[in-house]
Amino acid sequence: MLLSLLFICLLAAGLLAKVNDMTEKPISDAKALKLEEAIKNVVPPFDNNPVNESYKVATEKGDSLIVYPAKKGDDVVGFAVNSYSDDGFAGNIQVMVGFDTQDNVVNYAVLAHAETPGLGSQMVDWFKPQVQELSLIEKIFGFEIKKTETKSSIIGKSPGTTNFSVSKDGGDIDAISASTITSRAFLEAVNKAYAAYTQSENYTSTGATIVPEEDATEIKE
Amino acid sequence: MENKLVVSPSPHVHSGDTIAKNMYGVLIALVPAFLVSLYVFGLNALILTVASVLFCVITEYVIQRYMLKRIPTIADGSAIITGILLAFNVPSNLPLWILAIGAIAAIGIGKMSFGGLGNNIFNPALLGRVFLLISFPTQMTSWPLPSTMAPVDGATAATVLENMKYNPEALSSVSDMFFGLESGSIGEMSAMALLLGLIYMLWKRIITWHIPVSILVTVGLFTASIYLFDPSPANNPLIHLLSGGLLLGAIFMATDYATSPLSKNGMLIYGVGIGVVTVCIRLWGAYPEGVSFAILLMNALTPLINMYVKPKRFGEVVKNV
Amino acid sequence: MTKNIRILINGVVKDNPVFVLLLGMCPTLATTSSAINGMSMGLATMFVLVCSNLVIASLKNFIPDLVRIPAFIVIIATFVTIVEMVMNAYLPALADSLGIFIPLIVVNCIVLGRAEAFAAKNTVLSSLFDGVGIGLGFTLALTLLGVVREFMGSGRMFSVSFFPEDFGVTLFILAPGAFIALGYLVAIFNKLQRK
Repeated sequence: MLLSLLFICLLAAGLLAKVNDMTEKPISDAKALKLEEAIKNVVPPFDNNPVNESYKVATEKGDSLIVYPAKKGDDVVGFAVNSYSDDGFAGNIQVMVGFDTQDNVVNYAVLAHAETPGLGSQMVDWFKPQVQELSLIEKIFGFEIKKTETKSSIIGKSPGTTNFSVSKDGGDIDAISASTITSRAFLEAVNKAYAAYTQSENYTSTGATIVPEEDATEIKE
Repeated sequence: MENKLVVSPSPHVHSGDTIAKNMYGVLIALVPAFLVSLYVFGLNALILTVASVLFCVITEYVIQRYMLKRIPTIADGSAIITGILLAFNVPSNLPLWILAIGAIAAIGIGKMSFGGLGNNIFNPALLGRVFLLISFPTQMTSWPLPSTMAPVDGATAATVLENMKYNPEALSSVSDMFFGLESGSIGEMSAMALLLGLIYMLWKRIITWHIPVSILVTVGLFTASIYLFDPSPANNPLIHLLSGGLLLGAIFMATDYATSPLSKNGMLIYGVGIGVVTVCIRLWGAYPEGVSFAILLMNALTPLINMYVKPKRFGEVVKNV
Repeated sequence: MTKNIRILINGVVKDNPVFVLLLGMCPTLATTSSAINGMSMGLATMFVLVCSNLVIASLKNFIPDLVRIPAFIVIIATFVTIVEMVMNAYLPALADSLGIFIPLIVVNCIVLGRAEAFAAKNTVLSSLFDGVGIGLGFTLALTLLGVVREFMGSGRMFSVSFFPEDFGVTLFILAPGAFIALGYLVAIFNKLQRK
């Protein structure tokens, strides 16, 4: 009795060890790829490995955010900041926000959230420029159901010059209708990312990032 | 009269009470609230109410006639009441197609799936409303300001309960709430009109006082006790009593025959339960309003209450106390 | 052979695990928010079911009665772990969206139920057909439920948009919609089967 159970367990362990061996590398590759994809989506094209060059920046609250610098050759082309907010409607929201060297938001990606589907979950696309995706009946019958226009996009704007808070609070961004709390939390995360990025070691107060000397003069001309 | 001798089972003495008579009594009680909504929201309220009734009656007819192949019973008025109550529970600018989905959910899922009138566990109108609230939260929670006080047409505003939760400085005055001059669903506006309906139904003995009074007293006492410790406007018992769908729910929804307990004591337990859950959701829950969820929850517990709190059998003598 | 074919068809129709036996409700309700999720969950379960049925049927004389349940669980858990690792390695996005429900196949009562009720008493070949049949029934049921919920909830079917998402009834993507849709599907299935 004991022997047969032992035998089955041994067999199972052997099989699992073999499969684990085979999948260990693909799993870690897939994880790294996921992070890399998220960074690639939010900053201008780069050719370095931002994950290897990432560093932590302390925030005012005493915790820290991870900043991923994106470089092309030796020039810094942008930063991706992994930011978060705990004030979402359903708690924690994780966002990856990308900035170019002029402080403008290039793009963002929501990495993790638990907001209400259909309401708060709209933040995944809400703060990007609207794209109209045609559904099948619209294609077949050749009409378009227009979405209502909002000024909700944060892409291409800088938190330094635009007030990144919801219009209800006097800001310049339209909140997701019926999800003001989620919108506030999301914008808080973006502002936090911006604060961390401006404090990061590669950032200079002129709004441009460290540029080799000769290049800097070129820009002035 | 071919059949002179009619043999029927008991009861042989009938009080003349029928489903239809009670239902039309409820309809009359709803008239004051409907008039206020017409005054406040204008034509929109009329269109939505009529459409909602039509959708509900048509759904019931189609299901009974073509799916169940029974003789339709739409004339008993219960589908009409469901339609009106559903319309009373939505914002006045709700698109009609959403209302139609709500009517199908209310009658199809809430009522006919369980076997029709009397077999339904949940109040159909409330089920339809919660179905819409979860499915179309954006449309269900943008409340247009009453046309009498909106600066521009189509302006929306937060309801009293939303303000209570997120913006306590902007609370409406108690008298505005009593007469119905705040933003909200079509039928929940005026406390006065709803109370008139309550008085009519008590006078006509369509309902007893137990459920509405126990709900209102529970909410009042619960919020008052919290108000004693933390006297912020968000805990003001008077505002809690007058705001949102509490009166509409306590008077017209919780008292639905099929989904509330049978005995007087059971009704009191049921009412207290609704009151406690409502206040808990309002103060600590994710939604600003909790009456619908509270009533549906207690609907689900009604069979349990009926099991433990049995009504006195007819002819039963109370044993010596 | 006709007997085996009948076992296979029984698994899909007469003993359909979801619509008739009402087993494995947890993954059925939780993972069917879209058609592709439902189908993947069904296929993963089917793989585990077929493998564990095969192994258990071939080892049935070797496993003593007293420890058969622990032995079955070890075998099932092994295959579930394999599925999980392979999915994490090659389909990370899918593994993310199915999340905890892949490891939870271990406690899916369909798998242990078929091991105990069928594989432990029948030949290897019949057990194979039973595993494929039940697995197929489970996959079809989950896909159907996923299609219904995705279509009603967001106007899509296998990610192809049929009508604008704004007209979708979000409730169907959420948990209550799973119960409602499943209830009506069971009712329709029973009605069709009685004919």
